[in-house]
Amino acid sequence: MAEVILKNITKKFGEAAALDNVTMIIPNGSFVVLLGPTGAGKTTTLRMVSGLDKPDTGDVLIGGQSVAGLAPAQRNVAMVFQQYSLYPHLTVRENLAFPLKSPLLKTPAAEIERKIKEVSEVLQISHKLDNKATALSGGEMQRVSIGRALVRNPTIFLMDEPLSSLDAKLRADLRIELKRIQAKSGATLLYVTHDQIEAMTMATHVGVLEQGKLVQFGSPREIYENPVSIYSASRLGQPRINLLPASVFGGAPNRACQIGLRPEQIVQGEGEESFVKRVEHLGDQTRLHLSFKNHNLITVTDAHTKLTEGDIVRIRPERPFYFDDAGMRVA
Amino acid sequence: MSPTQFERAAEATPPILAKKIRGLSDRAIAWIFVAPTIFLLLAINIFPLIWTIRLSFTNFRVNRPNAEVQFVGLDNYRRILSDADIWLTMQTTAHFLIWTIVLQVLIGFSLAYLINKKFRGNDLWTTIIVFPMMLSPAVVGNFWTFLYQPQIGLFNYVVGFLTHTDPSSFSMIGDVNLAPWAIVIVDTWMWTPFVMLICLAGLRSIPGSIYEAAECDRASKWRQFWTITLPMVLPFLMLAVLFRGIENFKMFDLVVQLTGGGPGSITELTSINLKREAFEKWRTGYSSAYAVILFVTVFGLASIYVKALNKVKER
Repeated sequence: MAEVILKNITKKFGEAAALDNVTMIIPNGSFVVLLGPTGAGKTTTLRMVSGLDKPDTGDVLIGGQSVAGLAPAQRNVAMVFQQYSLYPHLTVRENLAFPLKSPLLKTPAAEIERKIKEVSEVLQISHKLDNKATALSGGEMQRVSIGRALVRNPTIFLMDEPLSSLDAKLRADLRIELKRIQAKSGATLLYVTHDQIEAMTMATHVGVLEQGKLVQFGSPREIYENPVSIYSASRLGQPRINLLPASVFGGAPNRACQIGLRPEQIVQGEGEESFVKRVEHLGDQTRLHLSFKNHNLITVTDAHTKLTEGDIVRIRPERPFYFDDAGMRVA
Repeated sequence: MSPTQFERAAEATPPILAKKIRGLSDRAIAWIFVAPTIFLLLAINIFPLIWTIRLSFTNFRVNRPNAEVQFVGLDNYRRILSDADIWLTMQTTAHFLIWTIVLQVLIGFSLAYLINKKFRGNDLWTTIIVFPMMLSPAVVGNFWTFLYQPQIGLFNYVVGFLTHTDPSSFSMIGDVNLAPWAIVIVDTWMWTPFVMLICLAGLRSIPGSIYEAAECDRASKWRQFWTITLPMVLPFLMLAVLFRGIENFKMFDLVVQLTGGGPGSITELTSINLKREAFEKWRTGYSSAYAVILFVTVFGLASIYVKALNKVKER
């Protein structure tokens, strides 16, 4: 395990910059989640650390040492690929054993057997060990792919949307497992996801990427409660943050162009009138779709609310975010 | 509800035709579709095969149609299998078969491995390498007789140049020891590109991300080759061997043009030998038995091989 530093990394594919001067410190033992839409540079960041791609400029340091000239094998990183990349002609057991059989490790056979057993139990694939890798469902392949990383003891785990094709229950289980493994072993993880629940529950740090630039880096709470821009604010929060022209409520600061309201920043029962367009009962919470001065808003209310379509609700912003015309936070 | 595709198809069928078709069951229609193919197959493949088997038990000679045909039982088979000359042609064929396959697989796979590396103009190189297999075997055989010519042949010149010997001191086609290798060389020259193409298809079917995973799993290039490249190309390679094996077992044109089976009968492969028996000596019954023996051999070997191939694919 080691601290990993990305220093002024720029990577271009043709004209388009996949990464634009990205600097990031991944502390030893941290769980860093990269957020951003497709094409933001998340996977490219992983590939820079793994050594599968080389940066145009900039440097990657693992444990204080530059790894610029080192191949992936020498960097000792474990990667979980989005497309699984299992060895199709091998069984699940052989797939899991593959990294352990590297001549660089010289793992004894009994140790390999023990590791495979342990990991396959955690990932709930023990009963599939003798299957061919191609005779698995997508979710099982993904778990084998995670397992192939977990059997190792690398400097850093790189995971590219490792839970994306699992069903909801398994995803929740593995979220907890991964976090537990990481907390127990003190492993360092760099983790790419679209899923904000994964980001909020597992991350010690979140990095927000926008078109190859790292626009914000901090704890999940920080990103959620103190976003630097509309873009950053939109990454986290369910339902998404509401954006309205700053002028619809009074008291906006000078340069403010838009006001951003998360559900908890909307106080109900006070302030100005809005009109209930729809009520969604989700069980543990209820979502209100409101129309406020011809602008749509979504907020959360009491699970057992008596409100129905057509009702009037008074709302008032509570310590909202204000953004300027470029989408940057002003207050 | 909108009409289904079947209903629309039914509506579009002209009434007269519809009336005719309506009387037929699905099964009957299916038979109508496959009947022409089955008829051709019976006429061209199955009937001659059965007829050959029948003839193989007789002393029939096609150049004496009026002679009385006698059933001789297994006599023809007994004579063939105890004929030392025929066993010699079998050995010649085996030598030819084994060496062409070994050389073509080794060289073909190596070429495919090199061509598969991304470099400038590798498409052009592929095209150039593939040229020999696009030529007619008769033309290739004919031209190589010139290349093998001791006085003016390019092959002899190059070998002489490299080994500092006199080019006219050896004759690939005329020498009893060299002639079996002469046909191996030409066949390898001509058909290695075919093996290369199949191997190339195999290599290109391996996704790059698997190598990336292996790279991250700290596998050396050597280990990647043995644990990923080779096992994943193996089914393709075995298919190439099957094709080449069957093709070369019935090899005729190239060798006839090149050596005519000579010198003596040193390069007389079974197919050439069979042709002599059937259409020079006109021993039709005898050569029918010969053909049946070859058929059973190839068919047996091929089925064993295909079983092995399927096992590899499943693995």
